[in-house]
Amino acid sequence: MEQLILELKKQIIEVLNLEDVKPEDIDSQAPLFGEGLGLDSIDALELIVLMEKNYGIKLGDPAQGKEIFKSVETMAEYIEANRKK
Amino acid sequence: MEIKAYSRITADKMVVNGSTVYSSSDGENINLTDLYRHLGIDYPKFFKMDNLCKAGFLGAETIIRDAGMDTVTPKKDCDIVLFNSTSSLDDDIAYNNTIEDDANYFPSPSVFVYTLANIVTGEIAIRNKIMGESSFYVLKEFSSSIIYSVVKETAQETSANAVLCGWADFLNNTPDVLLMLLQRTGDGKIQFTAENINKLYR
Amino acid sequence: MMYAIGDNIVCGLGFNTDEVYSSVRRDISGVKRCEGTFGVHEPFMASLVDESMVDDVFDSLHNSRSKSLCRDYTKFEKMMIISAQNAIEKAGVDASGRDFRFILSTTKGNVDLLGRQNTDSERVYLWRSAELLSEWFGNTNIPIVVSNACVSGACAQIAASREINSGTCRYVAVVGAEVLSKFIVSGFQSFKALSSEECRPFDKSRTGLNLGEAAATIVYSSDNEENKGNFAFCSGAIRNDANHISGPSRTAEGLFNVLDTLTENISSEQVAFINAHGTATLYNDEMESIAISRSGLNEIPVNSLKPYFGHTMGAAGVLETIISSRAANDGIVLGSRGFAQSGVSCSINISNMTKNIPERGQAPYFIKMLSGFGGSNAAILLKRVL
Repeated sequence: MEQLILELKKQIIEVLNLEDVKPEDIDSQAPLFGEGLGLDSIDALELIVLMEKNYGIKLGDPAQGKEIFKSVETMAEYIEANRKK
Repeated sequence: MEIKAYSRITADKMVVNGSTVYSSSDGENINLTDLYRHLGIDYPKFFKMDNLCKAGFLGAETIIRDAGMDTVTPKKDCDIVLFNSTSSLDDDIAYNNTIEDDANYFPSPSVFVYTLANIVTGEIAIRNKIMGESSFYVLKEFSSSIIYSVVKETAQETSANAVLCGWADFLNNTPDVLLMLLQRTGDGKIQFTAENINKLYR
Repeated sequence: MMYAIGDNIVCGLGFNTDEVYSSVRRDISGVKRCEGTFGVHEPFMASLVDESMVDDVFDSLHNSRSKSLCRDYTKFEKMMIISAQNAIEKAGVDASGRDFRFILSTTKGNVDLLGRQNTDSERVYLWRSAELLSEWFGNTNIPIVVSNACVSGACAQIAASREINSGTCRYVAVVGAEVLSKFIVSGFQSFKALSSEECRPFDKSRTGLNLGEAAATIVYSSDNEENKGNFAFCSGAIRNDANHISGPSRTAEGLFNVLDTLTENISSEQVAFINAHGTATLYNDEMESIAISRSGLNEIPVNSLKPYFGHTMGAAGVLETIISSRAANDGIVLGSRGFAQSGVSCSINISNMTKNIPERGQAPYFIKMLSGFGGSNAAILLKRVL
């Protein structure tokens, strides 16, 4: 799990162009959206693409993202349970 | 109106009000992220932008800050009127790359959102809370006379006190930007005329 | 003030304004389910224009210059030329004149040429589309392309009014055109913005938009010569939200400022209806209701034409202005197809029924409203002349 979390942080930084952020700057349990990283609705859509591209997970309903993208940890848990690759 | 300040970004340098503020190292094309760091700007959203927006943003940032305008006060009396030749083609190509290969088909929303030429006016408006008119026009080539007449008619109709206007283009790793900040009254040094626009561009 | 002396619509419902308007009156929608179209991976709902019909109509166009110009025009180019020629013929003016200018409103033009081999690489540029249009009519004035996302169609009419009011031109043809492609459909899908059913603007159960293809033209003139005018353009406004590049302002700041400017010198009783953008996305419709309500225009009937045409992007402002003008001249407000129960937080006057405009004589104006990416909002004030 620790490794998946680190991998995810790196991927998030890359696809969301968080140029000045390092993996260790992201608290695994802190909310991804709202304050903190300053992510917005387009970032949320890009995370949906990330899950499909890297883990083969297709979200039928984008509203599911709300729960899954609560934190890097919740995202990692969801991926662990549902990944197809 | 008068041209209070202007900035020019070309393949290898950035010039603000006639002074070179940054040039790329020998023969290389200017790197917009390097330019951003050089200018000491702190705006993480910059990294999410496509190249056209980055170029337009940097061109606007320098002259707007120099003019003493802040980033928080809503500015209803300021318009943004930009022109270019390639629309959003640079980002169109980037987006097309995410869908072209059927075996690797992952349409990217964060790339798609920039496939509209006018997003650059939006990015500048958001950064500076500019809430007047924002317009984007596409021409075959730089035309000081059309830029002059369209901007003049716009400002006349909206009665804006300030207008950020000019040319913002980016393709093939090459920015071509001339942004001008117009004000109704200023020091009277550079009048907003087609001839002066042309001089600043050439 | 400028006068619309000729117009045309090419869309999924037909190739001229009368045909299209009559379909709308009969409550026929052009939106259909598309599967495998353009090589897009998932099905989508859209109003498409039949390509073979476009080819046939284009081939039958009489134009003395066309032979010498003959190229392999794209569907996009053919649609804009068909629409422009039809509107110009109705207007009965010489489009090659020095006092005539073309303004093209489009967001993506020929973008589907990207990555294709053996095509003239210039053709993907929006200015080249506008140039081909002007050339077709032998017009040598530099054409202007307005590319302001989904508000382009209103912005192009505003640009036309500035050309005419400043005396630069006597006539301006505003041509709005958009075709769909894998590029556009996949992008909207990645935004999760598309509805899997026919869109339902302002409705409680709305789930997103439908896309559409169209070309629409209005020929504007500085004067109402021989009373040819179908309607008049009075004024317009464009304002930015300065909030987010893809999400509308939660307080509808930009659109509120637009409406505030537009209704400065008229009372709400004088406005017969507002033809909203009404894309049927959750955020757009909500934002529009806030803008209308904040502006104190709650009583004015509001409708959306998107269920008939889909969202035609750069063409929408032109197309929907034309249809609205026909309705205004007929003394009616078209219903919002598919609307049953309000799903916006502000109380505004939406109906799914076509109704007569009450006290018609008192309300000569109507408003076309648009909102789009990049924080742009625009609306225009129009007036029936019949």
